[in-house]
Amino acid sequence: MGDLFQEAILVSILAGTVRIMTPILFAAIGELVTQRAGIWNMGVEGTMLMGAFIAYVVATATGSIWIAVLAAMLAGGVVGLLTAFMTATMRVDHFITGLGINLLISGLTLYWFRIYIKGRAQPTFEGFENVPIPVLSSIPYLGEILFTQRILTYVAFLSVPAIWFLLYRTRWGLELRCLGENPKALDIKGLSVVRRQYTAVLIGSIMTGLGGGFLMLGFSDRFLADITAGRGWLAIVAIIAGRWMPRGVLAAVAVFALLESVATHVQVLGVDIPHQIFLALPYVASIVLLMMLRSKSGEPRRLGIPYFR
Amino acid sequence: MTISSVETQIASKSRLKIERRVNPKTSWTVFMYLLAVVIGFALTALLIMTSGADVFKAFAALFKGAFGSQKSVFATLAKSTPLILTGLATVVAFRAQVWSIGQEGQVYSGAMGAYFGCLIFAGLPVWMYLSLIILSGMIGGAILGGIAAILKDRFDVSEIISTVMMNYLIVFLLSYLIGGGPWTEVSSTVVYQQTGPVPEASQLPHLLGSSKLHLGFVFALVSALVCYVLLEKTPLGYEIRAMGFNPIALAYRGTNIGRTTVLVMVISGAVAGLAGVAEIFGTSHRLRADTLYNLGYTGIIIGMIGGLRPLGTVIAGIAFGGLASGALYMKLLAQVPAALVPAMQGIMLLTFLCAAVAARYKIVRIQSDG
Repeated sequence: MGDLFQEAILVSILAGTVRIMTPILFAAIGELVTQRAGIWNMGVEGTMLMGAFIAYVVATATGSIWIAVLAAMLAGGVVGLLTAFMTATMRVDHFITGLGINLLISGLTLYWFRIYIKGRAQPTFEGFENVPIPVLSSIPYLGEILFTQRILTYVAFLSVPAIWFLLYRTRWGLELRCLGENPKALDIKGLSVVRRQYTAVLIGSIMTGLGGGFLMLGFSDRFLADITAGRGWLAIVAIIAGRWMPRGVLAAVAVFALLESVATHVQVLGVDIPHQIFLALPYVASIVLLMMLRSKSGEPRRLGIPYFR
Repeated sequence: MTISSVETQIASKSRLKIERRVNPKTSWTVFMYLLAVVIGFALTALLIMTSGADVFKAFAALFKGAFGSQKSVFATLAKSTPLILTGLATVVAFRAQVWSIGQEGQVYSGAMGAYFGCLIFAGLPVWMYLSLIILSGMIGGAILGGIAAILKDRFDVSEIISTVMMNYLIVFLLSYLIGGGPWTEVSSTVVYQQTGPVPEASQLPHLLGSSKLHLGFVFALVSALVCYVLLEKTPLGYEIRAMGFNPIALAYRGTNIGRTTVLVMVISGAVAGLAGVAEIFGTSHRLRADTLYNLGYTGIIIGMIGGLRPLGTVIAGIAFGGLASGALYMKLLAQVPAALVPAMQGIMLLTFLCAAVAARYKIVRIQSDG
């Protein structure tokens, strides 16, 4: 193998990493907002799957991937409403709620998928294309890795500082973070706890739905059962490993995406090792990351504990 | 974090967890659960309408396929066998408030353990052969459960996350073993992602002249009885239930919570592993992934709907086995995709969760000045 060839592969792996980060990043940064508000949404995986499925149906039915993106966000929002109803209004245990939602959506999407493709060949769609950023994309190496991506990938990366700003530099963010630490303080001041919990869950779920939509429209041309394959769970791990801070979450997502990118390249290159070993890497990494980062210092104190006045 | 803040957390958490203490009023609770079933069926009916099929025809076909004849009842009981077992695995873990969702992976590892046993113990007398296969299957499930418990106890890794990740990992391992690895069916030119058929001596005998119902169903019932005795009549069961109520008091009493967690996960894993054994050696007679798919996750729903009690789990397991078995009939007669069943199960879980909260509502109001 020549140097040039190795260089090209390295660039391709890194560019793939950035692309693969996109859906997980949307979900992780969105759910970070939810978790900082004290709601431990375990239904990320299901929410993402619903986003992906609705994006598929709308993309194939209308032929417009941008309408499909909007539909995926809407689908995420609807799932978020259900999650918020169960956790904030009914105050069912957060973990049980998320589990129920995951199981429900896994079944629902499969059922609707079978109905949708009944009696015909599975329709496909034209997914997103790369949109190189002028000037920046001509920087050697970096241009190809960072600035020759899908539009939503840029949006995902920009959402990290945006969410950081919202959480740490606005009154709204302060109140939201307070919800995760001491909801009673808000309640005593006469600010609505439940309404803020709904907002936080909705932001997280809409972003997760968007992540699912991108997963569908940015990587593939057709839906498969359980296409999210644990990416929603990786988003949750990224939040824990990133100690509930946007920077940390970004770093953890990058680790998972790099491993997945390596795995896909190894498959293409045909290395003589069972490809399952490489596919398993992100999941192994998630356990190892959690073993190494035992400190839970950043965890909101009231995370996952329903608030009773 | 100070002790008192931990205590408030635990106290406020226990209020909404699946507690079994003071039941408000049995009649009210029963009414709520009936309402949950009715709403669940109504939502399912809406779902059937989205497929354009006739709702009544679909439900009729579903029930006829599930319980319409002796043959279909036997088929239902065969389908319910692994579901009861994974449901029981859920009961053991969740009663201790160990939130394992590893039943799915443990079914696979149990099946793999048993298949391994069936290869290495071949040639032994039949009863010994079968016992060793079953034992190695249970060990297979128990190992996976034990790993999650150790990760939780030693490294503070949430069992929710570790079990989910292991569910994915074990499928990759199986996919390697039967899709190109050493256990792949040899004779075929195409790789089917399955092993060859298991020897006849290793297959669980059928019961009552049925071609579907097998000895595994007896194991499921016996396991339910064992789980009941374990939870209600033994010191370990007391610790498990106490762990669910008040782990801090239990720790003060001198109980080693870490050890109990490991025991809970090992038992839960072994029971889930047994589900894998029953499915492979009772029904499909070869190791393949698709027959095991979703048994573990469905078991979580069954355990929850069964109220985390062994008897409730058996009943819910048979009902869900009926759905799984009637689904094929419904697909033939009413052209509703069989995937309706997992969707319906998810709906039922959510309506039951809401019913459980609604049934406790009065208690919540009394306790909730905090």
